[in-house]
Amino acid sequence: MLNKNIIEKVIDRALSNGADFAELFVENTFNSTIAFNDGKTKQNVVGNDYGAGVRVFYGHTAIYAYTNDLSEEALLNAADAVSKAAKGGNIIASIDLTKKEMENIHPIEIPNNTITKKDKIDFIKKVNEASRGYSDQISQVDIRFMEKIQHVMIANSEGLQVEDDRNYSRVYVSSIASNGTEKQVGGEGPGRFAGYEFFNSINPTELGMETARVAVTMLNADYAPSGKFPVVIDNGFGGVIFHEACGHSLETTAVAKGASVFAGKMGEKIAFDGLTAIDDGTMPNEWGSENIDDEGMQTKRTMLIENGILKSYMVDKMGSIKTGFARTGSGRRQSYKFAPASRMRNTYIANGNDNFDEMIASIDEGIYAAKMGGGSVSPGTGDFNFSVGEGYMIRNGKIAEPVRGATLIGNGADALLKISMISNNMAMAQGMCGSVSGSIPTNVGQPAIKIDEIIVGGRN
Amino acid sequence: MYTKEFQTIFAYAKDKVDETEILLSAGNSFSVKINEQNVESFNYADSKGIGVRVIKSGKVGYAYTEKFDEETFKHIVDEAIENAKYTENDDIVKMDNYQKNTDSPNVYSKELDKVDVTDKIQLAKDLEKYAKEADKRVFNVPYAVYADGKNYSRIANSQGLDKEDTQNYAYAYVGVLSAEDDDKRMGIDFHITRDFCEFDPLKMATVSVKKSTDLLNGKPAETGKHAVVFNSEMMATMLATFSGIFNAKSIQEGRSLLKGKIGQKVANEKVSIVDDGLHPNGFSTSAFDSEGYPTEKTVLIENGVLKSYLHNTITARKDGAKSTGNGSRGYKGTLGISTSNFLIEAGEHKETDLFTKHAKIIEIVSLQGMHSGANAISGDFSLGAQGFLWKNGKRMHSLKPFTVSGNFLQMLSGVEAIADNFKFDMSSNGASSVLIKELNISG
Repeated sequence: MLNKNIIEKVIDRALSNGADFAELFVENTFNSTIAFNDGKTKQNVVGNDYGAGVRVFYGHTAIYAYTNDLSEEALLNAADAVSKAAKGGNIIASIDLTKKEMENIHPIEIPNNTITKKDKIDFIKKVNEASRGYSDQISQVDIRFMEKIQHVMIANSEGLQVEDDRNYSRVYVSSIASNGTEKQVGGEGPGRFAGYEFFNSINPTELGMETARVAVTMLNADYAPSGKFPVVIDNGFGGVIFHEACGHSLETTAVAKGASVFAGKMGEKIAFDGLTAIDDGTMPNEWGSENIDDEGMQTKRTMLIENGILKSYMVDKMGSIKTGFARTGSGRRQSYKFAPASRMRNTYIANGNDNFDEMIASIDEGIYAAKMGGGSVSPGTGDFNFSVGEGYMIRNGKIAEPVRGATLIGNGADALLKISMISNNMAMAQGMCGSVSGSIPTNVGQPAIKIDEIIVGGRN
Repeated sequence: MYTKEFQTIFAYAKDKVDETEILLSAGNSFSVKINEQNVESFNYADSKGIGVRVIKSGKVGYAYTEKFDEETFKHIVDEAIENAKYTENDDIVKMDNYQKNTDSPNVYSKELDKVDVTDKIQLAKDLEKYAKEADKRVFNVPYAVYADGKNYSRIANSQGLDKEDTQNYAYAYVGVLSAEDDDKRMGIDFHITRDFCEFDPLKMATVSVKKSTDLLNGKPAETGKHAVVFNSEMMATMLATFSGIFNAKSIQEGRSLLKGKIGQKVANEKVSIVDDGLHPNGFSTSAFDSEGYPTEKTVLIENGVLKSYLHNTITARKDGAKSTGNGSRGYKGTLGISTSNFLIEAGEHKETDLFTKHAKIIEIVSLQGMHSGANAISGDFSLGAQGFLWKNGKRMHSLKPFTVSGNFLQMLSGVEAIADNFKFDMSSNGASSVLIKELNISG
């Protein structure tokens, strides 16, 4: 994208007023989205995201500037802007970049944007037909078919220069069931850090039917009760509870400022003994995987919590400077429009030893959350909320009638300690996680877990 | 600005398509964040992008780029044509040289562009300093931020429409964490303006600290049905979350409960809801929308009766209505519909009067989970909330986080009183404090 000589000049210029570190991030991204609803291909967009960001550090200060103009002049202007703001850093002599060959641990078979639009639309139509065929109550099916190839180049004043091509593929399906007066939604959004082979690996008919099944089940369900209940949260997107309730508070962005409930707790017991949680960028072609993070570091598998003991935070470069903990390859960003920050990759609770049926059998009256919706957390207080996408009552140790409209709220540190059983059916699901450095692909995951008591916000 | 770029695209597209529209957006922005009286981060942005929308044989295709050169411009026109081929839309799409708005809203301040960077940094430092000094229980100020920006947009089409607009803005916010015993609560205050002198860091810091400390050591909320007051910010948040029910596209696609209800009573008669693209105090004010269509004030609900939906020219043509100037897209996106300055009209009550109307009222001052716990299609919501218990007009104590659930349309029907303390939030949604007869609380 840029020749080495220009990259070196830009980094040298960024360092020229004194700085501890300088970095150049360059991106050229292909994006394609097909939007389908009402049984028709309604919108087709392709586009090109293109730009560069220059970052310098001095002390605990980070300065970032970005531009869409990749001419030498514009890049030097951006470097001047950050350099002028950097005062009192060290003077680093001019740098000499060495291009690092990156190990590609997530090989792809069919690069995105090489398959015809017709093939993609055929796939979409199969999903649509399967959903509508499931029930007369399905009144609308929305499908978004997304492909992305993000080419990145990262170079810094430590002499690093590295590039990667990242292929992302995802399809999001949302089926609406209606009985004339009420409407309910069922959604699934499978995705991989992979090329078109991902779409070949999923069955569009099953995907369409599954979203329809959830929508119809919830349409014909009564409202969830209100109050405190024991809850079993099943695998897959159920992992959003750990993501929201604990994951964000383990990012150094929150920890470094002391604005996390887990700050200063390294090596301490913060969860139930049986709980082990991992954030892993190395899982082959998973949605949140990477070869390198957006600071150019090789990705890693990071043990966050082992048998209830806090083992590591998720650490980016500035987080490492501020907290003293080693980097974990967790510096991520949506695009050149964001400075990187410590973020999650594929984050999951590891399998435990409990049996799912025994978990359900242990509850007289409670909620079984078969599928979770989204959620959010305030990292400073640890308060979280998340919605149940497909829920059922548990009565006398058995899964009973479906219930809808439940939101679960609680406090992360507290909820971790209230997990009392962990099953062995770990599965992951895909999401887009929004935070300071933008919206990025992450996997959440867990086996089914039992939380002894949580506030359920229903209506009955 | 960018006339050469527009000419290049129009010239290349001319013989290949029936109609072409070009949307350009360019701007710069700045932000500074303070931690422990040091600059934690500075961000400078200089960005631009161009999107084309073409009509060929009645079908629409889109493409965009952030890379500005002749070869790429030609490439996106070709891509847009290719995309149009695979569109199966049966909507009738046209472009036109829409008239100019007679009102020209004031959305740019030359003075704001001249503010010195050291003053901006000082403002953010003061936010943090005053917040820390305000109360011993404050243990962290995770957000002390100042930001500003300037955006230029231009839209032109092959029917001769060519409109441009330059806007700027500045905002600041401060978020504090306070603690007492084991309980931690957050409070945030913000201000958005085009007049830098309006920023009052001491006031903002004091307000955010009070928001945080007032919530400390809450008692559990009693599970059951309660009368509820949403403060003005949270009422604006609720309104924004469910704004999609007025979207004509959603209605035509069968996703809104307001389908077929024009002229019917859908809310209490005290409720009037308006979208006003020309509101003098809103920050979504512009003379034209993303199709270049003139914006206006659109009354959606008047005294409880549904009067109109929000339209772009495509949905309007389908309904035999006029566009309300709510066509919306960024250069990367496709044409949809969105609100501009969206508000519920103020009432006549003093805010404190609202709390005297029931013996027991729960006041909601914070909501969580709007993107997950609110179903914009069914109107159902179940949200994390924080607030206070009021008895006989007196604020008794704060509450531990609880949930509030109900249905948005039923909530509008249950409006009992609206206060006179109208305020816009950061995203140009405006409301006053509103008393609702009954919602479900779980604590």
